[in-house]
Amino acid sequence: MIEANGLTKRYGAFRALDKVSFEVHRGEVVGFLGPNGAGKSTTMRILTCFISATGGTARVHGYDVFDDPLEVRKKIGYLPQRAPLYGEMNVWEYLSFVADMRGLETSTFKKRMKNIVEVCGLATSLGKDIRDLSHGYRQRVGLAQALVHDPPILILDEPTSDLDPNEKAEVIKYIQEIGKERTILLSTHNLSEVEQACARAIIVSKGRIVADGPLEEIRAKSGRVRYVVQVHEKRVFEGSPAKKAPSAEEVQAALEKLPGVTSVVELPTDDRAHSFQLAGAQDGDIRAEIFQLMVSKGWLLLEMRREAQKLEDVFKALTKNDERRDRGRPIVEDDEDEAEAAGAEEDEDEDEDESAEDESDEDASDEDEDEDESDEDDKKKKG
Amino acid sequence: MGTTFIIAKREFRSNFDSTLAYVVICLGLILLGFVFFEFGGGFWQQDRASLVQIFAQAPRGLSFLIIPVVTMRLLAEEKRSGTLEMLITLPVKDHEVILGKFLGAWGLVLLLVASTLLYPMLMFWRPWDLGPLDMGPVYSGYLGLLLYSAAAVSIGLLISALAESQTVAFFITFVVLFALHMVGSVADKMPTPWLREAISFISFDTRLVPFAKGMINTRDIVYFASIAVGCLMAAFRALERRKWA
Repeated sequence: MIEANGLTKRYGAFRALDKVSFEVHRGEVVGFLGPNGAGKSTTMRILTCFISATGGTARVHGYDVFDDPLEVRKKIGYLPQRAPLYGEMNVWEYLSFVADMRGLETSTFKKRMKNIVEVCGLATSLGKDIRDLSHGYRQRVGLAQALVHDPPILILDEPTSDLDPNEKAEVIKYIQEIGKERTILLSTHNLSEVEQACARAIIVSKGRIVADGPLEEIRAKSGRVRYVVQVHEKRVFEGSPAKKAPSAEEVQAALEKLPGVTSVVELPTDDRAHSFQLAGAQDGDIRAEIFQLMVSKGWLLLEMRREAQKLEDVFKALTKNDERRDRGRPIVEDDEDEAEAAGAEEDEDEDEDESAEDESDEDASDEDEDEDESDEDDKKKKG
Repeated sequence: MGTTFIIAKREFRSNFDSTLAYVVICLGLILLGFVFFEFGGGFWQQDRASLVQIFAQAPRGLSFLIIPVVTMRLLAEEKRSGTLEMLITLPVKDHEVILGKFLGAWGLVLLLVASTLLYPMLMFWRPWDLGPLDMGPVYSGYLGLLLYSAAAVSIGLLISALAESQTVAFFITFVVLFALHMVGSVADKMPTPWLREAISFISFDTRLVPFAKGMINTRDIVYFASIAVGCLMAAFRALERRKWA
């Protein structure tokens, strides 16, 4: 339904998109993820024929965005960022304006409106001026105008930005609702939304695609899984050979010896328990071994859980590396071939960087960004 | 209904959604009435059944007040608020957007021009039948206003397409139209004949005078029409520029 092939967009010397290629198939709901300024909106504007790419091609529903912009726009329902609407019109006027522009018959429009009003929850605000609506309602009107002509493809640019949590949840609910029979490309920087609404995600950073695949696959990209283990600090299991409660060092040393454990980090707790976070291989499960260890030592296990890496962590890892790599580097290389050669070299560097970083990440708590940053800076200084 | 016409209709109606338009229109009509009857002796002192005063003063009123206000929003405001993206990603061609916007704004200006028809109707027909009116200059005068307003609105549209904000668009349009009106009055002070001719060639006022007298020159028609077409084409290019910028 949507094919992008090597899309490149330059704004003067700044390269907003760099050879972006992806495909979205019929009936898919795809999350288009990335930090601000990564090129999400630029891609969407190219797909909706609002701007032209500097290089590369894109086809929507079989039509080329450059050659057949009108056909492409007919097949697309588009909600730009922040839902820009004519404030002086009321909701009904605006939607019928859009319907007229799309060449809908009045009777068809009225029929469609019944459904749309219900899906988007606009029943009470049809007569209100758009400028008087809250942001959440504007977003709904934006969704409604994208749905008026019953398009097979929807492109939604940050449909949930600037909304309060309730409104966000509702918009996501609508997207799930309307996504049942449509192809949707949805951009956002909110990961929990993607997890709720999409089966597949494309992550872009600095104008490049850094990950593309089913959410499970992207999550697994890091190849790690976390365990959290808590051991009682004051007591031991009654009737066990152990006489006194273990010290933190003892527990840590014992946990590190378990098979497949790559790192053990102590977590902050109260003075009742020792708490540790373990990192292990994605495909293994060492919960049985942990339990075995506790029993043999006679320690009291208070808590144990295993969790797959969160999408958020993967996102951070993928996009942050990219940002660092770009610092202090010329933004654009004029010579295409040279750029490619340089790019290839850089890619190698990057791989090394990443593996080095993986280790350091394992040492530090994943959540702690600042520490990561300074780590990285230190490395740079040494380098 | 073509998309051009739908855009024009929306544009035309949106003028009546803000109080600004009403205020400007009322003010314009009051001013015109004052100018018509009082300015420079006014209608009664002329001792002739003529509407020359309307045809001489109405374009200035339109240029200095109404056209800048009407055209400033056309594209500048849409660009700023982002609604342009919404509009253009509907199945519509760029030139239809430009043409629709132009027709919407021109329509409003023509409505105002048409409202001045009240003067001849009330004065020379009913209820105050002041006597016979020479209709020739009236027809040609209105033709002049029609052409002039098309040119002025397209100038405003072009400036709105280029400007970053509607305030900037307003002032630039005002200055440009003001210059085009006033440049005629400095023509006589120019030292060389060719400069004099060049200036009166571009002056709105010089071009409008024959229409008010009942003379229709092809040159004047071509002048206004080519300004209108040229500015619309330039505005189209300015709108297209977003694709590559």
